[in-house]
Amino acid sequence: MTSTGVASQTRRLGFHPGAWICWSTCAGIVAFVTTDPVYLLLLWAVAWFVYASHRSAGATAASFRIFVLAGVLALIVRVALVFLGTVNAANVAFAAREGLRLATILVVFGTFNAVTDPFAVVRLAPRRFHEPALAAALALSIAPRTVASVQTVREAQRLRGINVSPLRSLPALAVPVLERGMEDALTLAESMDARGHGGGRRTRYRPQPFTPAAATIAASAALAAGTFLSASFGGWAELHPASLARPEADPLLLVAIAVLAVPGMLKGERA
Amino acid sequence: MTPPALRYDGVSFTYPDADRPALDAVDATIDDGSFALVVGPTGAGKSTFLRAANGLVPHFTGGVFSGRVHVDGRDTLASAPRKLAGVVAFVPQDPAASFVLDRVEDELAYGMENLGVDPAHMRRRVEEMLDLLDLAELRERSVRTLSGGERQRVAIAAAMAAGPRILVLDEPTSQLDPQGAEHVMAALQRLVHDHAMTVVLAEHRLERVAGWVDVAFGVDEGRVFTGDPAAVIHRLAVGPPVARLGRLVGWDPVPLTVRDARTAARAHANPVANGHASLGQTSGEVIVAANALEAKHAQRRVLRAIDLQLRQGEIVALMGRNGAGKTTLLRTLAGVHDVARGSVIVDGHAPQPGVDVALCPQESDAVLFSETVEDEVRATLAARGNAHGAVSPWLERLGIVALARQHPRDLSAGQRLLVATAAIAATGAPVLFLDEPTRGLDPDSKEHLARFLRSHTADGGVVMFATHDVELAAAVATRAVMLAGGEIIADGSPADVLGDSHVFAPQMTRVFGPGWLTPEQVAEALT
Repeated sequence: MTSTGVASQTRRLGFHPGAWICWSTCAGIVAFVTTDPVYLLLLWAVAWFVYASHRSAGATAASFRIFVLAGVLALIVRVALVFLGTVNAANVAFAAREGLRLATILVVFGTFNAVTDPFAVVRLAPRRFHEPALAAALALSIAPRTVASVQTVREAQRLRGINVSPLRSLPALAVPVLERGMEDALTLAESMDARGHGGGRRTRYRPQPFTPAAATIAASAALAAGTFLSASFGGWAELHPASLARPEADPLLLVAIAVLAVPGMLKGERA
Repeated sequence: MTPPALRYDGVSFTYPDADRPALDAVDATIDDGSFALVVGPTGAGKSTFLRAANGLVPHFTGGVFSGRVHVDGRDTLASAPRKLAGVVAFVPQDPAASFVLDRVEDELAYGMENLGVDPAHMRRRVEEMLDLLDLAELRERSVRTLSGGERQRVAIAAAMAAGPRILVLDEPTSQLDPQGAEHVMAALQRLVHDHAMTVVLAEHRLERVAGWVDVAFGVDEGRVFTGDPAAVIHRLAVGPPVARLGRLVGWDPVPLTVRDARTAARAHANPVANGHASLGQTSGEVIVAANALEAKHAQRRVLRAIDLQLRQGEIVALMGRNGAGKTTLLRTLAGVHDVARGSVIVDGHAPQPGVDVALCPQESDAVLFSETVEDEVRATLAARGNAHGAVSPWLERLGIVALARQHPRDLSAGQRLLVATAAIAATGAPVLFLDEPTRGLDPDSKEHLARFLRSHTADGGVVMFATHDVELAAAVATRAVMLAGGEIIADGSPADVLGDSHVFAPQMTRVFGPGWLTPEQVAEALT
């Protein structure tokens, strides 16, 4: 049996998924328009804060760690690529900043994943986009389950004397993991179909209201993204400092990033 | 006149790439309001038969389909499964894999949302379902935190909520402890009696269902025949232990339930004063010793103060409710779960998984990765430095020689479990642990498994298996250990431990009193 969590036995709290979509899009925009490590690292801290205050109990919460790891990996790979060409301090610093930007976007996405239920998001999609949204949600929910199943499979193989190292005995690990992942996805798809998914007009059971708190989250995030966009297009602050320059942070932009932490300060609402 | 709930007309079906049909010219009619059992050997086509009821076969599987299935008068070929969702609901073998949303209440409402049910009606309906399946306490919980029995009830409630006339379930009690199974069966019966539903379920453990159903469908190599449950079970030569006893001693009619058997026993010879099942303690050497063992799971103590010694030659049944700590105990003794306090000694040292201890996990499919069944066993032998070891003895001992060249993926769940067991046992480890070794196994395969366990211990090994299957424990165990809340609450001969329990008593004990465990034993005393 899978493990049981205690936290999730209390009632679930949260915000309208729309608020989260807005928040993560805006945080993503902020990360996208700058390569200044000061802003980016602050954004990591904000993302972690938001994740820690609102992570959901489901399997997707585990995916935050995976996205952080993926981010770190992206950073390393980006820097490593420099060593294929001309290596000098400026190049390495430039690559590191680029890598950090990509990593930050991944972390923001990981936060979004951890605080929402992908299928709750699907239910928001307009009917016309239902199928692609559903496919995306399935993909998102399968990834963390696959990671969990790596653990199970490694243990199972160890118990028959096969020590699974990723290099030496890949099939012993990969085949069962992929097969289980596929099987899970198929069972889920079958079950959704058998339960009438996509059969016609849908209604909502106790839809989560878009409350003032949710509106606050959306508005504050939009404000932060707006500030960064205006700096990016207006050019009133340096968002891409020269590679070896000591970064100088603009106070207004620091405030904008702090504003992104608003969801972490609000208490979730009864879903 | 209302149409029958389900009608199969000359249905044949072959899976893509299969060389023989899974269903072969099946004609069957399931009347409105019946409580029907589908029974048959592992891999005979039961799941296919069930999945054809709402069109998952062939809409989801592909393959060659001929004939017609009508559900509530509607042709499954003409309507996709999603169009039939309001008429027929399907609960698959592993309900956890079918959950779409995270919270119990949302999961219950999901089907109704898809059907566009009016929100006010939906609210009332969810409340009704929560009451009907006794889930009100769980409404806010995440489905991932529920026990096996709770999950099964949530899956049934979720299937029911959309208001179908027909409910189809694939082995709904296979993951449940006896009490949990009883709850589920009672809930299903209530649906049939009070709510005029038609319920169709497949099940191997006939002792759990035979007394509840009113019609049975036997499935054998793709052919389906129907009749009164006693007749069908008789024809398949399967049955709960009371039926086996009936056949052994020639009772007519063959009893199906404990109550029938008591009546029969009174009418015929009342056998014996007392059982004689005490097998005596084996006096082999201690191989596994746990002292004051404690283990945690997610910061919760799941095992406390476990003192346990396993001796050579013993077959130990580890029993207890869902969530009692059975799996954790096996994993800790096998050396793959951390010991929080106390110690585990196997053969004088810490357990070495895969070397002196082998464990077939509950999710046994996690083991399988080879192209064929024999390669699967060979992989284990190779890992143990015995690449040229003989494969066939392992297959023979588990009765799967005929499957040697098949791909494990093409086998039924029960057959895959046997393959995984062979692959694990081939480590040659003297200590063999099995976690739920009879899920999805038909009586024949169970017989093979039992023989295999006996031969393992006869060669100087020791076996401990965690199970909800009291009849298996009664048939093969030389000792039973009962866990509750992470503690051992009983440890002794199966006759004492099982005979002493209301929930875990095997059928023979229920009919003839403590000491009687298997039909063979009773039959011998009767004749």
